[in-house]
Amino acid sequence: MREITVAQAINEALAEEMALNPEVYIFGEDVGDFGGCFGVTAGLKKKFPDRVMDTPISETGIMGLAAGGAYMGLKMVPEIMFSDFVGVAMDYLFNQVSKSRYMGGMQPKGDVCGLVLRAPNGAGLTAAAQHSQCTEALLMNIPGLKIAIPSTPYDYKGMLKYAIRGNDPVVFFEHKMLYGVKGSVPDEDYVVPFSSADIKLEGSDVTVIATQVMVHKALAAAKKLAEEGISVEVVDPRSLKPLDTETIVSSVKKTGRVVLVNEAPVFGNALAEVGLQIAEHALHDLKAAPLRVCGPNRPIPFTPALEKQWIVSEEDIINGIKKVLG
Amino acid sequence: MKVSNDDLIKLYGNMWLIRMFEQRAADLFAKGVLPGFIHLGVGQEAFMAGTHYSIKPGDSIGTSHREHGLLLLLGITPGALMAELYGKATGSNKGKGGSMHACLPEKGALGCNGILGSAQTIINGYGFAHKVRKTGNIAVTIFGDGAANRGDVHEGMNLASVMNLPVVFIIVDNGYGISMSSKNSSVVTDLSARAAGYGMPGVTADGNDVLAVIEATSEAFKRAREGGGPSVVEFKTYRHRGHFEGDPTPYRSKEELEMWMKKDPILRLEKILLDRNVINEKQMKDIKAEQLAIVDDAQKFAEVSPYPEGPEGYGDVFYKYEGRD
Amino acid sequence: MIGIIANPSSGKDIRRLVAQGTVFDNMEKVNIVQRILSVIYASGLRDIHMMPDAFHISERASLNLKRSLKIDVYVKLLDIKFSDDQNDSTQAAELLCKMGASCIITLGGDGTNRAVAKACGDVPLITISTGTNNVFPLMLEGTMAGMAAVVAERDRERQYLVINRRKRINIYKNSKFIDIALIDVAITKDMFIGARALYHPEALHELAVTVAKPDCLGMSAIAGSVYPVGENDPHGLYLEMGEGGELETWVPMAPGMMQLIRFKHYRKIKINERIVVKADEGMVALDGEREVPFTKNDNIEIELSPFGPNVVNIHKSLTAASRGGFFIEKDGQGLTKAESYSFYMNNNKEE
Repeated sequence: MREITVAQAINEALAEEMALNPEVYIFGEDVGDFGGCFGVTAGLKKKFPDRVMDTPISETGIMGLAAGGAYMGLKMVPEIMFSDFVGVAMDYLFNQVSKSRYMGGMQPKGDVCGLVLRAPNGAGLTAAAQHSQCTEALLMNIPGLKIAIPSTPYDYKGMLKYAIRGNDPVVFFEHKMLYGVKGSVPDEDYVVPFSSADIKLEGSDVTVIATQVMVHKALAAAKKLAEEGISVEVVDPRSLKPLDTETIVSSVKKTGRVVLVNEAPVFGNALAEVGLQIAEHALHDLKAAPLRVCGPNRPIPFTPALEKQWIVSEEDIINGIKKVLG
Repeated sequence: MKVSNDDLIKLYGNMWLIRMFEQRAADLFAKGVLPGFIHLGVGQEAFMAGTHYSIKPGDSIGTSHREHGLLLLLGITPGALMAELYGKATGSNKGKGGSMHACLPEKGALGCNGILGSAQTIINGYGFAHKVRKTGNIAVTIFGDGAANRGDVHEGMNLASVMNLPVVFIIVDNGYGISMSSKNSSVVTDLSARAAGYGMPGVTADGNDVLAVIEATSEAFKRAREGGGPSVVEFKTYRHRGHFEGDPTPYRSKEELEMWMKKDPILRLEKILLDRNVINEKQMKDIKAEQLAIVDDAQKFAEVSPYPEGPEGYGDVFYKYEGRD
Repeated sequence: MIGIIANPSSGKDIRRLVAQGTVFDNMEKVNIVQRILSVIYASGLRDIHMMPDAFHISERASLNLKRSLKIDVYVKLLDIKFSDDQNDSTQAAELLCKMGASCIITLGGDGTNRAVAKACGDVPLITISTGTNNVFPLMLEGTMAGMAAVVAERDRERQYLVINRRKRINIYKNSKFIDIALIDVAITKDMFIGARALYHPEALHELAVTVAKPDCLGMSAIAGSVYPVGENDPHGLYLEMGEGGELETWVPMAPGMMQLIRFKHYRKIKINERIVVKADEGMVALDGEREVPFTKNDNIEIELSPFGPNVVNIHKSLTAASRGGFFIEKDGQGLTKAESYSFYMNNNKEE
């Protein structure tokens, strides 16, 4: 199978869905001829000049346009340059697209409200505290919103296509440090549905639940620990909402131990919900208390010296696994 | 400007329908029958009836929280609207939206957004859909002097102008954002002046004169339909009642209210109808009685309707949900 | 005493939608008033009265001057109850006239000046255009208006101040005098007052003007396109428009809008001549605004009158003042050729 990067996978997914459905629209800041701040939408404007649109710096304006278009049945795929900016557009996620179908008031009926907000997450570019965060936890407590958080080129492409074909509002978190990561992606059309946690590595001693960059770090950690005879199972939830509790719980039931790894600050972390689901459904199967290996409860530093320390490392994960193994 | 006698009579009936529906809602709220809170548009009937006159089938109209009246004219049946105010399963939103969010999207009645200002960016999506689908329709958003100060409104206006969308921003300055006088919430008295900052025309018209409203909206809508782009139309009007029912209105004087009562939009249309011999007093009485009967029926319908229950009442969150909650 | 009437609602009518009219922002009116007030303040005069309004133009202007120039211009508000319509300007003019104002500076369009002219008596007007299609007021820098006002206030003997009496048109409904127009009376087939501004020439039936100017917009320009009439000519013009006419002219009807207008005929109206309107029903529009509806039972008459408002000729007045040495500084002693006054006089009791 051919290998492409995450950025290419996203670009392919967008191009293919646009070719398939003439009502898919991509817009955001600098997504046109410039190709997006991270080059993800490169070339799309040439292929679909009328359906790839640059907008002014107006995150609320972008989200409003997306919401209204989605309510009318268009497939709106806006980009927000950094996921840190969801705060600026929060009302549209918190009060608008997530509530409109249920409550009414510009209420979408039937097969409308296909809205996929692409938002790049993550530290690692020494971009300081306002351009480096992972913001999925902020959106966890909103009924009516779906959250995708993939980690591999295959998942990125399949889930983005699935999201665009759906009729619900989705926040699709990309990770800036994964854009260049390569992986196998088939030529033929496929989708990856939500609520389908993926066991990235099978193991028997401990389950590591990880997202995005942390999936890759967890796999590297698992490889090292395998040399020490420790068998790690790595589970990627892929979507936080809906959450595939079944796959996660059955893995934990099998291993009896769980480490939750996410880049964002540990307090109120998105995986705290996963931990509690495990407690509810598999408490008696646990041989040790679940452990969170997440970011510090501090803003992300600018200086490379400190940023590197801030981000959860492979070593942190190894230490965490060893801790739950006792 | 010409409006046929038949249309004048229809406008008159529409304005009475709105007033009677609103007054009934006020009575029911005072009796404790209606839950939640409710914002009534008594005194603002002219701009609703006049705006409705200029709207064509297929247009998308987002209202504010004080425009039940316009929703009635757009096609939500009085029964369905009253049932929604009651929170009944037969309500326009199955009792899930209530007074502020009643809507009927298939008729272009988008209802209100509880977050002031957000609708003025969302309307661009509607306008955008009309533009790319070449429907020839337009999107109209109605908001108040209070909402006009939200930042979202400015992003919305700028984007509408940049994208040349068929969107009309109707600002209804009814004097107050809850208790704050619009004279204190903005140093620009005529909010239409803001249009200039986004390179679009802005006009201010008398919102208590249904014919002035018709003239202003028909020109603005025509411009948008013909690809001329967005515009701002501001109507000056006044709410006779408080911000919400139960508001003691300590912030305004009796004299001010009396001055505006003299400008009552229904009385003004009545005078035109009588001066021009369009109808006589007897016919006016009949029209009022007719609208009153409609409101009576609506109330009866709402009263006997059931409340929503069980999973249906909590449904319609997602189109398709892959997981379990 | 100097009076100022600034209309907060001029410059926002429907012609912004149907033509390329500019929105005249109220903050700009505040700026103009600031310039007027600073000039008057510089002259040492402190007796200024302004019309109150909902936008608080005078309060804002005074406050801005306090903040930026650290001066207190002592503007007093006229004691009227304002209702946010043109009646405010009429009331203010009436009061200023009673109080013996030496002049009234108006900020507005033809409509505002019409409202002022109804009640200002002989008090001369200094007119600044902030409306839409203005013929009556001038496009004038506020500074000059302030200077002219100082001349008007100091020059009670009228050595310098040049004043022209304008014409006006009186309107009668069923033989009763009801209203006036300064520039034009249009009889239209409109049924309703609606958005007030006149912008559909196809609805025009008849037109009477005091001045016919090819170099302006709207009704006066229609007349001006066939037979120019000046402010000082002892006649006006009456025109019948519409189908069946043979003459067609190109007229700038609104900002940026040239339209073909068809005439049946036109003729001069003499001073004091009264004409019975031919249309049997419709609307009387005064200075571009639909004002008076009439039906088949009504009889509308119009009459050209020589007794319009007095208007200050700024150019001639300031030129005469300069020639008389009005602007030469005399250490605040106010000694000039006339030996009694000049631009700056320190004769105020500080409040």
